[in-house]
Amino acid sequence: MKKSAFVFGYGKRGSSFAKGLKKDDYHLYIIDNDAKLCNTAKEDGYKDVLCLDITRDEELAQLPVRKKSYIVCVMEDEHLNVFVTLSLRALFPQAEIVAISDSIHVTQKLKMAGASKVIDLYQVSANRIHNILRKPMATKLLDSFVSDGYDISFREMQIPPNSYLDGMMVDDVNFSTDGVLLIGMIDIELSHKFIFITSGIEHKLDSGDTIVCIGYNEDLDSFEEKMKREQVV
Amino acid sequence: MISEPIVKFSFWLNGSAKYKQVKTFFFNILQNPDYPYKKYLDSLMIFLILTSVGILVYEVRNPVPPWMDTYDIYVVSIIFLIEYLLRFWVHDDLHKTIIREYEQAQFLHKPFSLAIPFKEVFKQKIKYITSPSAIIDLLAILPAYRPLRILRIFVLFRVFKLLRYTKSINQFVDVLATKRFELFTLLFLLLFITATAGIAIYVFEETQNPNITTLFDAFYWALVTISTVGYGDISPVTQEGKAVSMLIIVSGIAMISFVTSVIVSAFSEKLDELKESRIIEELNRNDAFIIICGYGQMTKMFLRQEKELKDDYVIIDNDPQKVKQAIKDGYKAINEDASRHDVISKFNLEYRNITILSLTNSDIENVYITLNAKSLSRKIRVIARASDESIKRKLELAGADHVLLPGSVANMMLLTSINQPVMYNGIHAILTGKNVAHMDEVSVWKHAELMGKKIEEINFKSYKILFIGIQKGVEGEFIFNPSQDIVLEENDILLMMGLKISIEYFKESYQRSRL
Repeated sequence: MKKSAFVFGYGKRGSSFAKGLKKDDYHLYIIDNDAKLCNTAKEDGYKDVLCLDITRDEELAQLPVRKKSYIVCVMEDEHLNVFVTLSLRALFPQAEIVAISDSIHVTQKLKMAGASKVIDLYQVSANRIHNILRKPMATKLLDSFVSDGYDISFREMQIPPNSYLDGMMVDDVNFSTDGVLLIGMIDIELSHKFIFITSGIEHKLDSGDTIVCIGYNEDLDSFEEKMKREQVV
Repeated sequence: MISEPIVKFSFWLNGSAKYKQVKTFFFNILQNPDYPYKKYLDSLMIFLILTSVGILVYEVRNPVPPWMDTYDIYVVSIIFLIEYLLRFWVHDDLHKTIIREYEQAQFLHKPFSLAIPFKEVFKQKIKYITSPSAIIDLLAILPAYRPLRILRIFVLFRVFKLLRYTKSINQFVDVLATKRFELFTLLFLLLFITATAGIAIYVFEETQNPNITTLFDAFYWALVTISTVGYGDISPVTQEGKAVSMLIIVSGIAMISFVTSVIVSAFSEKLDELKESRIIEELNRNDAFIIICGYGQMTKMFLRQEKELKDDYVIIDNDPQKVKQAIKDGYKAINEDASRHDVISKFNLEYRNITILSLTNSDIENVYITLNAKSLSRKIRVIARASDESIKRKLELAGADHVLLPGSVANMMLLTSINQPVMYNGIHAILTGKNVAHMDEVSVWKHAELMGKKIEEINFKSYKILFIGIQKGVEGEFIFNPSQDIVLEENDILLMMGLKISIEYFKESYQRSRL
């Protein structure tokens, strides 16, 4: 079954975001209180466009939000965005709510309103300016992460059962001969958090753990192959 | 004919790179306020002036030792003379005028005569000699001629010469110049009343008052009275004289307060402008600085992050409200339109490294600012913000060195947060430069511990640092995950990631000098 995503707001940000999600094959619902924007969404070819009065909880409660659904709040109006986040959190405590903000103060409000993740529109860009000015090399590398045009990227991989990595300490492994760098891991035992290897915690790799590496795409491919192939018998 | 060798010589001068270089150098050091070495000459001149005036004052009561006299006559005056002649020389180019006239004559097939270009250049030079600053320069040299004692007082003109080397006095004059009309009207009125009152008191009291014997005494009394100074050495003795006094005292008070208010209002009108030009002047002293256009959320975010930023930046916004806010937030800001040619050209474009951050929320504005900056100087680095890909292309065409797309980055983050929710935290931490995933560059300096080491010899693991890549040399290519036996050389840059403290500790132990 397709995962469903609810996009609140079909303004400038909402529309470009919905376009991105469409590519990734989600069951998309687009919700806005502005009839004009709803019409635009319909014209753009979205099937499930709902024009609701989003300030009324009764109408929101009708939405088919399930436990694993994603809710994205990208209303143009900042106040409405915070309000909708708060209402949705109250109605669907299990859902994953992602919101967009354009200043530190709004970020804080959105977090308090219960958004699971808040993306600050300018924080990344501000850091990028900092890097352009002070660290030109880091800039190149980071640029390659955010755009498709470069070869170096992130990848998460799961350690297969009986892998040769099973039981090794993070400190002892070295993938650099394979052309990839271990950057961090997702620990299933510890609440699914992303841990950077540089934070210096002692950790043993287990089958089923997810590791995150960076490297050239082809090296990542061959490393992934190698990990599946080489098993301890 | 005499003109032929002169024309030939002019062409030779025009072709000589050395001559041009020397003349440009002297022009820059004397006249170009943006030239970085001009300040040294200015300081030297100010020093000479102050010592020269100091000697004049000292001389009043003390015998002057001979070395001081020699210094005053020869060193100071000769330097002033050289300066005067150099200024006279760089003021315009005789040879260029000759060449222009010669070529015109050739083109029109008319006989060429040296008289025309000489006349023109003569006019130019005379214009220079009669300009107020040149007159002051000349008078400042005169005290060197000792046989005439009276010339000593011309040392005071050396004080006037200070005007040339200090900007604030020029600004003061400029401000007053804006109220020229009001001030001249008042001056005329003052002269009129003084003259009338002076004549009146002369007529009434010349026979009765022993203190007033000439018309000069009368004018002197009138001016002292009208200015409310009132020494009291001359005072009216007749009824008529006293009546005249009363009238000019009243008009004097009115006039003084009028003059004061005119000057005060001139300054309060120009105060913001003065402050802003002061900020620009101070900025121009730095070797490199940043001009931030627009004070919006993005700028605020950037400034919050950029704690290393000291004095080497200025915010320009054309909305006075936003400028006020920026100043209130403790930043240096001026209210100007950064897309205007004359605003950006106030900065020292030729000799400084300037970075312009065009962060306004209007794409049109950002494109315009970029074009404007790049049209002024290709050297200016421009980092501009765009709302989508099509604007990004336009900005790149306009010459922007880097383009920021906050919208598309946020979009990418949103998609990551949904598609790869767990990795999102990691990417977010790296892209926002969080402490845990601090990415930094470490340069290899000559004599530093890192020099000549192989990568495998450096124990990154013990510092809890992830070594990512290296750039060989200043303009070298970036090598991701380089092989272990690469030897580090001077100017290589290492890219690494880790906790901020780890990297600082690493720098401390590896970047320090071996000596």
